[in-house]
Amino acid sequence: MLIHIEDVFVAYGSPPRAVLAGINLEIEEGEFVCVLGQTGCGKSTLLRLILGSEHPMRGRILVDGREHHQPDRTRGYVPQKYSLFPDKTVLDNITFGCEVSEFGLFARLTPAFYRRRKQLRAEAFDYLQRIGLRSCDAKKYPDQLSGGMQQRVAIAQALMTKPRILLMDEAFSALDPGTRRGMQQLVRDLWKATGTTILFVTHNTDEALRLGTRVIVLAKESVDQGSRIAMDLSVPAPCGDEEIPSLVRRLELVSESCAL
Amino acid sequence: MSVGFLLIHARPQRAWSAILSWFLFAAGLAAYLWVAQARHRENPEDRVTPTLAQMATGMYNAVMQPAEEDEAAPPAANFYDRLSHSMLWRDTRATSRRFLLSLALLIPAVLLGLHMGLFPYVGVFFLRFVLFFDKIVALSLLPILFIAFGIDELSKIMLIVIGVTPTIILDSFNLTRGVPPEQIVKAFTLGAGDFDVAYRVVLKQVAPRVLNSIRLNLKAVMLFLFAGEMIASTDGLAYRIALLRRHMGMDVIIPYVLWVALLLFLVDFAMRTVNRKLHPWFHEA
Repeated sequence: MLIHIEDVFVAYGSPPRAVLAGINLEIEEGEFVCVLGQTGCGKSTLLRLILGSEHPMRGRILVDGREHHQPDRTRGYVPQKYSLFPDKTVLDNITFGCEVSEFGLFARLTPAFYRRRKQLRAEAFDYLQRIGLRSCDAKKYPDQLSGGMQQRVAIAQALMTKPRILLMDEAFSALDPGTRRGMQQLVRDLWKATGTTILFVTHNTDEALRLGTRVIVLAKESVDQGSRIAMDLSVPAPCGDEEIPSLVRRLELVSESCAL
Repeated sequence: MSVGFLLIHARPQRAWSAILSWFLFAAGLAAYLWVAQARHRENPEDRVTPTLAQMATGMYNAVMQPAEEDEAAPPAANFYDRLSHSMLWRDTRATSRRFLLSLALLIPAVLLGLHMGLFPYVGVFFLRFVLFFDKIVALSLLPILFIAFGIDELSKIMLIVIGVTPTIILDSFNLTRGVPPEQIVKAFTLGAGDFDVAYRVVLKQVAPRVLNSIRLNLKAVMLFLFAGEMIASTDGLAYRIALLRRHMGMDVIIPYVLWVALLLFLVDFAMRTVNRKLHPWFHEA
């Protein structure tokens, strides 16, 4: 069991309003889990709980058998925006994780650092090709790239440190549909190649069905109650184009009927 | 021309833009010369509006001769020796020393602001106090500083520090707070520690904005520096201006004022250039 979530309850604001209530979830190593839900149903909160940047008011979250109190290297993260460091080039963004975790602030001044950086850069170029960027993009700064390219680099950056879990928060929601389809293919391929467990938060049902091996729908049963897991669907094989419309309708029905 | 030339959609041609942007300089100069000439015709001894020739002589003496007789270079000294003993050079050096010292003291202020913005305990410890200090009118502290630290360098530097650092601390604090939380979380998930996040991620990102903020506060630094020099000092550009006021030495005061403006412009320009060279990724919003 890689992620174990036990009776988690989260509320925000004063007076507190429940966001998540009674969430129980088990995620195995190597799964590709998509978390679906409408805006404000707490799907990003769930992701931040696993990330460790937020803490539940009740219940426990175990990642690899242990509670984590802050984000660390075991869980990679790709947010929707601000995913790259604007002051670093594409190449430096990708190698940043390995550099920073292997060398302290002053160890950068030693020759060992420069030898290691050479290796890392070669590895980063490999990733650059896998995510479909040209090597002339390596020297660019993030704001010289399109939104889709930025997210590609962000995925490479997160995968460089080989995290056991990759958490993606609406990672493709700001992209146009054409770019999005390509990115979905890329993530699916990288998932197959690396075997990383992925938790992908999205509000797009179509996307969830195309990507995941498992789709979880979060929905509120009434306005003042927190969201629960309304549906837990296993998708053994990626859905074909002809099944998707009917499945989308079914899932959206679940998500909406709970909201009423 | 279909668009009226004073309206929003007007597009001045390059030549016109150049002429118009220099017009006020030319008009100011012309007005001054006209007034100076008129006053000199009435009273050849007039000291309020020196002519260009008088200012040139005044400046030549300032550049080539020492302020006090006993500091004179040996008579056979060459050009550079005379220059390095001259009044202007010594004043500029004294003022620049204080100015650069105060700028150096702003670096800890930036770091404090960064830590306040990132580490909650540092933030709660300092924020209220800095906010309070920010509201104190620094010049009103001047007598206290002279009493406490004497009238030498320390009190003048302290005046600048007290006057400008709260602004710089609060500015870097706010800029640090403005860094998207995603960036900090992302850095942690890549294996960075707290100080890696502070210095390699956040400080590098806010650096160009902090430099800009320091650049905008140069004026305030100069203001406090001049206030200190005018009231209690034995050298420095502002000391000289205040001293020459007693002799109505407008032939030196006016060039000095322009010299200070030029120096400040050059510092500002240098900082802007360095900022652009160091942070090619940064585009001013």
